[in-house]
Amino acid sequence: MVGPLQSEVVLFPERIANLLGLSGTLGEIVGALIGAFIVGNIMLAMTGVAGPWAKRKITAAFTDRIAVDRIGPFGLLTIVTDSVRLLSKELIIPEGADRPSYDIAPLILPASALLGFSVIPMGSGIQLADPEAGLALVFAFASIASISLVMGGYASNNKYSLMGGLRAVAQNIAYEIPLIVTAMSVVVFAGSLQMSTIVAEQTSTLVSLGGISIPAWYAFVNPFAFVLFLVANMAEIGRNPFDIPEAPTEIVAGYQTEYSSVYFVLFYLGEFLHVFLGGAIMATIFLGGPAGPILPGFVWFVIKIWAFFLFTQWCRSALPRVRIDQLIEIGWKGMLVLSFANLVLTAIIVGVIA
Amino acid sequence: MSWIAIGALALVGIAIPLAMMAVSALLRPSVPEQGKKTTYESGEIPTGSGRVQLNIQYYMVALLFVVFDIETVMIFPWAVMYRSALEAGIPLSQALLPMLLFVGILVIGLVWAWRIGAVEWTTSLRASAQKTERQNT
Repeated sequence: MVGPLQSEVVLFPERIANLLGLSGTLGEIVGALIGAFIVGNIMLAMTGVAGPWAKRKITAAFTDRIAVDRIGPFGLLTIVTDSVRLLSKELIIPEGADRPSYDIAPLILPASALLGFSVIPMGSGIQLADPEAGLALVFAFASIASISLVMGGYASNNKYSLMGGLRAVAQNIAYEIPLIVTAMSVVVFAGSLQMSTIVAEQTSTLVSLGGISIPAWYAFVNPFAFVLFLVANMAEIGRNPFDIPEAPTEIVAGYQTEYSSVYFVLFYLGEFLHVFLGGAIMATIFLGGPAGPILPGFVWFVIKIWAFFLFTQWCRSALPRVRIDQLIEIGWKGMLVLSFANLVLTAIIVGVIA
Repeated sequence: MSWIAIGALALVGIAIPLAMMAVSALLRPSVPEQGKKTTYESGEIPTGSGRVQLNIQYYMVALLFVVFDIETVMIFPWAVMYRSALEAGIPLSQALLPMLLFVGILVIGLVWAWRIGAVEWTTSLRASAQKTERQNT
């Protein structure tokens, strides 16, 4: 399905290079660096709002409390004070820690999540790269996270941490396959792995109800796949009810137990970045990417990923955690079978209709 | 073009955490007291090594994953080509059946793994022995 659509897409770095009047390889590199810096900071700003502030406020709203409200309007300046507080804490390296990997693990988690955003179309022309294998690439980047968790868990020289790291791997590998196989059923519809094509395929009208046309978002075309993907995604990013790798009441925050100061901040940031990356993948392949009425595309993109974030926090307040054996059983016996059934059924339906 | 941009984001993604580490190194205190360096073990002095032996099940599941992960990689090209192949007039028996066969073989593999208990998390031998004892009496 290589249409004329793709050639019209002007990517973000190119746009910046044109704006600066640069051309050639230098323009490409400068544009890419500035674009990457902007995208990285947009996402970090969002996690900055989400981590110290929104998470507390949302949980407080669910449990009928007030949460942070002392500093600034609605307690928003807590973000500033909290970041200073966390960065200025003493860094305690545990005895017998495996030094290089103990230090590298907190780097990898946020870096892998940020890397995933490189191929996500964020609307209003903000998309850093649009390679042909975009969807496969974003899953590849997202799953680097488990390497970081197992590194941190192993290097900490703590039994709980090691267990947390291994749990993270067991969980990631159990839910990775349902996740990708479900995404494959979208690829069957879209006929491409390129993110811009997947988004463009969702712009056509599915049905018109009383003058309002409902777009052919894959969440509407294949709601079963949407639900499957949602569940697998929650497990992949390790949020409730699948927050087995952390499980504070079982293994005292797992791989994070021995991390303090800036290392802890980086783990925390990386986790939130992964939540937003999960939301961005869902928005792109199931919810029409940045598409939406009236408002500009980027605003819709932000609304969609924040809706996913709100959903994760809702689950955090509402659902109990599953046990590790239940997790493995749900993954290998439930999700895997259902996702293959979904793929085969989608293929047959598409084959019969086409 | 796109690889330059992805590489740029990788650079930024590593540079920002490094910058945060540098800022933190300037801000944070350093208290040379060694007692706090013991690893956390519910307030007790840690016993033995931190690298304990764990359940074999983690390994079994990982082995199963390798099989299915390679399979998903194999299905990707099919999923991309499927609709355009149908639109080009290739009959369903040629576009769909080979993939169904491929998935079918793997499903047989899954059924086998399921039956030998590879996807079963460990059960406590003592607990199950007690359970059977209770049932027998």
